[in-house]
Amino acid sequence: MLKIAHIDVYYGDLQALWDVSLMVEEGEIVTLVGSNGAGKSTLMNTIAGLLKVRAGSIEFHGIRLDSLPAHSIVEHGISMVPEGRRIFPQMSVLENLEMGASIHAARKMRQKTLKEIYEVFPILGERAKQRAGTLSGGEQQMLAIGRALMSQPKGLLIDEMSLGLSPLVVQELSRVIQSINKANNLTIFVVEQDVPLALSMAHRGYVIENGRIIDQGDAKSLLCSARIKEAYLGTA
Amino acid sequence: MEIVCQTMANGLLVGALYGLVALGFALLMGVMKFLNTAHGTFIILGGYLSYWILELWGIDPFLSLPLVVMAMFLIGIVFYKLALSPLLKLPNIGMRINTSMLITFGSIWVLDNTMTLLWTPDVRSIMTSYTGQTLKLLGIRFSLTGLGGVGVAVLVALALYFILSGTYFGKHIRAATQDAVAASLCGINVQRTYLFSCGIAIALAGVAGMVVVSTYSISSTAGIGWLSSAFVVMVLAGEGNINAIIPAGMLLGLIESAGLLVVGVSYRQAIALIVFIIVLMIKPQGLFAKKEYGS
Repeated sequence: MLKIAHIDVYYGDLQALWDVSLMVEEGEIVTLVGSNGAGKSTLMNTIAGLLKVRAGSIEFHGIRLDSLPAHSIVEHGISMVPEGRRIFPQMSVLENLEMGASIHAARKMRQKTLKEIYEVFPILGERAKQRAGTLSGGEQQMLAIGRALMSQPKGLLIDEMSLGLSPLVVQELSRVIQSINKANNLTIFVVEQDVPLALSMAHRGYVIENGRIIDQGDAKSLLCSARIKEAYLGTA
Repeated sequence: MEIVCQTMANGLLVGALYGLVALGFALLMGVMKFLNTAHGTFIILGGYLSYWILELWGIDPFLSLPLVVMAMFLIGIVFYKLALSPLLKLPNIGMRINTSMLITFGSIWVLDNTMTLLWTPDVRSIMTSYTGQTLKLLGIRFSLTGLGGVGVAVLVALALYFILSGTYFGKHIRAATQDAVAASLCGINVQRTYLFSCGIAIALAGVAGMVVVSTYSISSTAGIGWLSSAFVVMVLAGEGNINAIIPAGMLLGLIESAGLLVVGVSYRQAIALIVFIIVLMIKPQGLFAKKEYGS
């Protein structure tokens, strides 16, 4: 269970998050939606340890994460698919996946995890030897997700998965994520600009605006709420 | 004919040493993107360590190599902590290369003068029972220390190749340089990875220093000359192409020897620098560079 309580985050003197609290239960898919610059990626990067909180706390399965560096947060079971995918372009697909299994616990299991990931994304198996920079955008996103799963996480953070991908690929990816969530009881926290997509994947959702959580609830009811319709779907 | 063969054979031996000299430099520049202009100076420091271990304790330089490697590794770690690690905060790789060039250039003067104070500006070289002895093969003479140098160079290059492409640690170095943020999100401790690899790079300078002091001589300010050899070899091999460093060094040695036969000894350095300029003009990605594909 991921529990974020009353965090404030700054870029230098500029406050980006105000008193943000949210909760993701074990095995749940929760999404955070909001417009550009609302603070979605800031929150993601803070959980992953790339940004520090000035106040408040972040806990995962009862362990405080908010003062740890990014690489040790992976060891506590949280793995992130970063915005823009950020695969290692000069390394092969297989080496990229191996990098995902860098922590000790995951290294021992890596052959087994690798097989599971090739089952989910067969194209990665076919292109194992190919340089990752030569993959298409959709394949790179699959690789980024696969790499994040290689560390055998208990919680997965996904930042802007749909960015720059065709609707067909996005549909396929969201199906895969839902099935991984069911099969492994994986806790998933998704940040997404594509609000209908995010709310169709998730169980629950939060709405962020100007660095503050302004709404939350069941994904279906959020999708129907007048406010969301007006702000993000343009169908008031 | 005999003199041609003999000169070429010498070129090969010297070339292996050029490769060895360039290895640590190319590791820091090609893989981690730190341009260490003090590399030649660290080679001299390694040479002094070998020299003093022989003078004080009578241990043969080839046997004391592990000791020198360990000492230089630790020096490399301190060097990284003091001089290079702050550069990771810079926003892009270009600034890291430029700033590291300035910082390491400053380090040259600190190290040079420290060595002059400690060990005087005298030229030092190592005399052992086998110094100057040769082995005759197919009518060509090979110096024993030169052959030892080749052996060390090849072994060290193979070890480095294995570390970089075969181990998790080596892949972590490459991953961290391609995208440090993504690497840390994979659970890679970027600072620690760089710390160790800088230690390895300076240890490689120590190995080269041992061979330099055994086959040639050293003085406290001779580092810059070896730096320029390292530069030329790295450009021949192609930046980041560590596996081609030893072959590229041997190629440079051969070109130099061929040049010596034609124009004479006094143009030795000029030949290397002309090769450097020609390669930069014609094939700046390096003679041994693989064809780039994709993005």
